[in-house]
Amino acid sequence: MTRVRLTIISVVVLCLVALCMSVGGRKVSAQNAAAAAEPIYNPYPPGILPSDLPSELARVLREVDGIEAEAIRQWHAIPPPVVSGNPPILQNTGVPLVEILGKLMNYDRTISPNKNKACASCHMPYAGFSGPIPSVNLTMIAYPASAPFRAGKRTAQRYTYSSYFPPLQYNATQGAFFGGNFWDSRATGYLTRAPDAEQAQFPPVDPNEMANPDTACITYKLSLAPYRSLFEEIWGAGSLSSITWPANVASICATPGGAAVFGTNTQPVVLSTADRTLSDNDYLHWAASISAFEHSLSVSPFTSKFDAFLKGTYKLTAEESAGYELFKGKGNCNSCHLDGRSTAPAPTAPTAVDTGVAADVTPVFTCFGSANLGLPKNPRDSFYYETTPDSLGFTPNPGGFTYTDLGLGTFLRSGFGSAANPNSAWRPFASTSDGQMQTATARDVAMVPPQCPTTEAPGPYFQKEFFHNGYIKSLKQLVHFYNTRDVYPFAVESGNCPAGTVEKVNCWPEPEVPANEDMTVGKLGLTDAEENQIVAFLQTLTDGFTTPFPDIGTYTGTCMSGGTAATQGNSTIISAIKLRELMNQR
Amino acid sequence: MNSVHAKLLMMAAAGSLLFSNSILAQDSAYTPQILPPAPRAARVRVMQGPELEMADDKSAIITWTSNNPGGTDEHFGVVHYGTNPIELGDTAKSHIRLNQTHSYTVFRVRVRGLSPRTTYYYTVDSMEANGRSDGVNSPVKHFSTR
Repeated sequence: MTRVRLTIISVVVLCLVALCMSVGGRKVSAQNAAAAAEPIYNPYPPGILPSDLPSELARVLREVDGIEAEAIRQWHAIPPPVVSGNPPILQNTGVPLVEILGKLMNYDRTISPNKNKACASCHMPYAGFSGPIPSVNLTMIAYPASAPFRAGKRTAQRYTYSSYFPPLQYNATQGAFFGGNFWDSRATGYLTRAPDAEQAQFPPVDPNEMANPDTACITYKLSLAPYRSLFEEIWGAGSLSSITWPANVASICATPGGAAVFGTNTQPVVLSTADRTLSDNDYLHWAASISAFEHSLSVSPFTSKFDAFLKGTYKLTAEESAGYELFKGKGNCNSCHLDGRSTAPAPTAPTAVDTGVAADVTPVFTCFGSANLGLPKNPRDSFYYETTPDSLGFTPNPGGFTYTDLGLGTFLRSGFGSAANPNSAWRPFASTSDGQMQTATARDVAMVPPQCPTTEAPGPYFQKEFFHNGYIKSLKQLVHFYNTRDVYPFAVESGNCPAGTVEKVNCWPEPEVPANEDMTVGKLGLTDAEENQIVAFLQTLTDGFTTPFPDIGTYTGTCMSGGTAATQGNSTIISAIKLRELMNQR
Repeated sequence: MNSVHAKLLMMAAAGSLLFSNSILAQDSAYTPQILPPAPRAARVRVMQGPELEMADDKSAIITWTSNNPGGTDEHFGVVHYGTNPIELGDTAKSHIRLNQTHSYTVFRVRVRGLSPRTTYYYTVDSMEANGRSDGVNSPVKHFSTR
């Protein structure tokens, strides 16, 4: 086939795509959104939404449905338990049953108002249970809601090891906050003592995510689910089936939250007091079941090369070993991403080698704290453009570009886009917490589908996004940012680096939040080769080395290739100034 | 299909199920803990610096290395500064997280709100998250903005 013919075919394909979808206008259609009653919400300037968004959302839904079908088979293969004692214990198979219930819930798209969004839609196993769509990771960074195409403001955090985070607490001995779930720690675990369980209660009723208008809608949909008998087997007979639902419950629960028709009513499903209490308890049990799944070996299995290394069954390569020494030494990564080692006398110089012995054989590579790393604002974040009401009368972000993500600080103030702070004693720490985001576990940061075996260009690679706003697109960039943030600072926004510089290589735009910036990082003095060695070490933290990671092979999309990791994604950068102009022209 | 063959198939199916779905109880002995603070050092001394890392027309970064002060991991580098060497009335502080496995700590403090082409004098200290000083003594040094 000649190059000319290839070009013609490419043009035809592009035209067909353009016919189906006019990004930048208001005529975007979506396969997955076909069930949605409301018109597509598209307040975005050209280039914010990826051109393959409809087909990619449909692809993920097919994968989600496949895993849900698998989960049903797995559930039926588990022998029934023997109910024993009081309180009743599901003897023998209680643990696998509650774990599989969480899995069934996680991959159930019918929980969302338009039946087009499961929890897993933003958290697929082959991405370490983070964002599964390369083009979204490259562009809008937040994932579209059940009401297309509303979107949130941050990247989808990995589930892996989320259950190991303790309840949010201000630790007076350390003088800092620890624990919780979410980038801003707003899932505190104050009630259940399980932050990852409480985390599972937020997205189903977030209008920019799954968008149920009432928590009772989740209970209602569970009462219709094929696994409702499993729910009642675990959480009590009648817990779902004894609730009397109002005649309009299906209609209410098919309407995305935030719709003007609901006003400020957060409980539009009218229930008796007793049934509301039942529903609230069911929603706690939804949370507990998903927590059990996240804690299971299906999600958090400690099966990485590094775990094998700790057990003495894997020898790190020279590159990985050098990276580990840098991770602990010159890179200072383990000041926050604790590796559980090093009880012995510390090195005496920056170049010295740590001779410590293992203090803990299964570290989770986080201190559970929060920090403001000084990341630049990412103008590609779709949230900045959601300033007009959708067809339901909901405006996700009235402030537009004036919105600043203060992370933990906003939560402590019970501020916009976060949740209510359950402890007024934490409130005085808000200003000293502005800009701080949770220190993620470094485990599984590099997890990708087997057919796209790396996160790094030239690949073939799977495009991920890193940190809370997805500004960073490769692990090379991630390490380079820590290494050189203060070596190449420019008082500009993304897309406006001076001529002669290359953004993310020798130009870092100014931090979104200057306050409380962490200065442990910013100038580490690592060479280019040393950065690569740390990337090699991070790749040893990917689960699935000693035992295959469950459902890792479910990706049916394509890999990307070409370019370099240092500039990966730079072709999609749009000047923040230009984007503001485009928004003002709407 | 004979009974042995059938049993083998059933075992293979069961093995495949266990292998693929990991419907297994989590069995890690690991209990995550919030790291307690390391003991405070008897004395905190500057080993290198303090010195200017960079300065532009309105900000600067001052850096130095001391022995690891211990105490709260959440620490602050502190710079007392002013345009008069005997009156260092302004203070800047920056977050630094101690690494308990390191015997040394590199402090870096960003000083904002400076005037262009101005000479500033400074001393440095460090402190715990609760504000308790590490009692660092440093000479008065100076730098100039651009």
